[in-house]
Amino acid sequence: MDVQEAVAEGAASAENGEVKRDGKKQFSMGPGDILEGKLIYDGSVHADGRVEGEVRVSGSIDVASGATVKALLEGSNVTVKGQVEGMVTARDKLTLGRNARLSGDIQVRRLQIDDGATLNGHVRMGDFEQQASGQ
Amino acid sequence: MSSRRPASRAATPVPVPAEVPTETATVTPSENGAPSAVKNSVVLGPNDRLVGQLYIEGDLRVSGTVDGAIEATGDIEVAGGGKVSGEITAYNRLIVGSGASLIGGDVRIARLTVQDGATFSGRVSMGKHEAAVPAQPPPVTQAVAETAAAEPVAAQPVADDMSTPRASTGWTKRKKGR
Repeated sequence: MDVQEAVAEGAASAENGEVKRDGKKQFSMGPGDILEGKLIYDGSVHADGRVEGEVRVSGSIDVASGATVKALLEGSNVTVKGQVEGMVTARDKLTLGRNARLSGDIQVRRLQIDDGATLNGHVRMGDFEQQASGQ
Repeated sequence: MSSRRPASRAATPVPVPAEVPTETATVTPSENGAPSAVKNSVVLGPNDRLVGQLYIEGDLRVSGTVDGAIEATGDIEVAGGGKVSGEITAYNRLIVGSGASLIGGDVRIARLTVQDGATFSGRVSMGKHEAAVPAQPPPVTQAVAETAAAEPVAAQPVADDMSTPRASTGWTKRKKGR
């Protein structure tokens, strides 16, 4: 249910979305877009505007600088330039840009935090034994 | 022997504002990187090791091993192959370099930079970390007020340094009213 909703909404605003890059799909949101629900996506997501819920992707997630995200994020590479509230899992690398604001627990393999970023939460680095993939 | 410094300090009427006599200048004579001479900075080199607690008024740079709690009023930089495990508090910045490792308990800082390749884990809280401390005074003043109410004459010589003026009026009245 949720998944369908999210996908549908994404498709509605997907005129700029669905960019293919090296054969990989990219779900691209604009600053006025809103995504609520759960999105599971085989590709990469460029999150902008407002996102609420849960986003799990096989590729990378990048949160634009004006974006407001209240969601669980999971991707191989996660780059945050905007504001994120929620758990973040980066199977490879998490990057927090200089204006990023992240509050929530994070689990990463590699981590880069630029000066100016704000982080509040528990950081776990290393293996992903008991991933929070209860769903 | 070393009575020269106090002499120069006592000679304050001299109108030259050149150098404020601080102990920090003595602590870091060879710190070449310090732009303003007022800042204190402590360096733990690659072969240095610290187990326990450390409080620094100034900056701390670690490329050795620290096992314990460290607190600095300035910046803390874990550089090179530095390894820190324990509680970290930096009133200003924390920098974790690319080869460095920080396995923290609580990490309380104002600004944070983690370079790619660093090992970093712990519970991070940024921003107003000193706000948690002043939550305690009320019970103390209450206790003082209680003793003051019980024996008003004998209460004064007891070591209440700062809280006497506050405690003497407001709190006693409330106590009695209850």
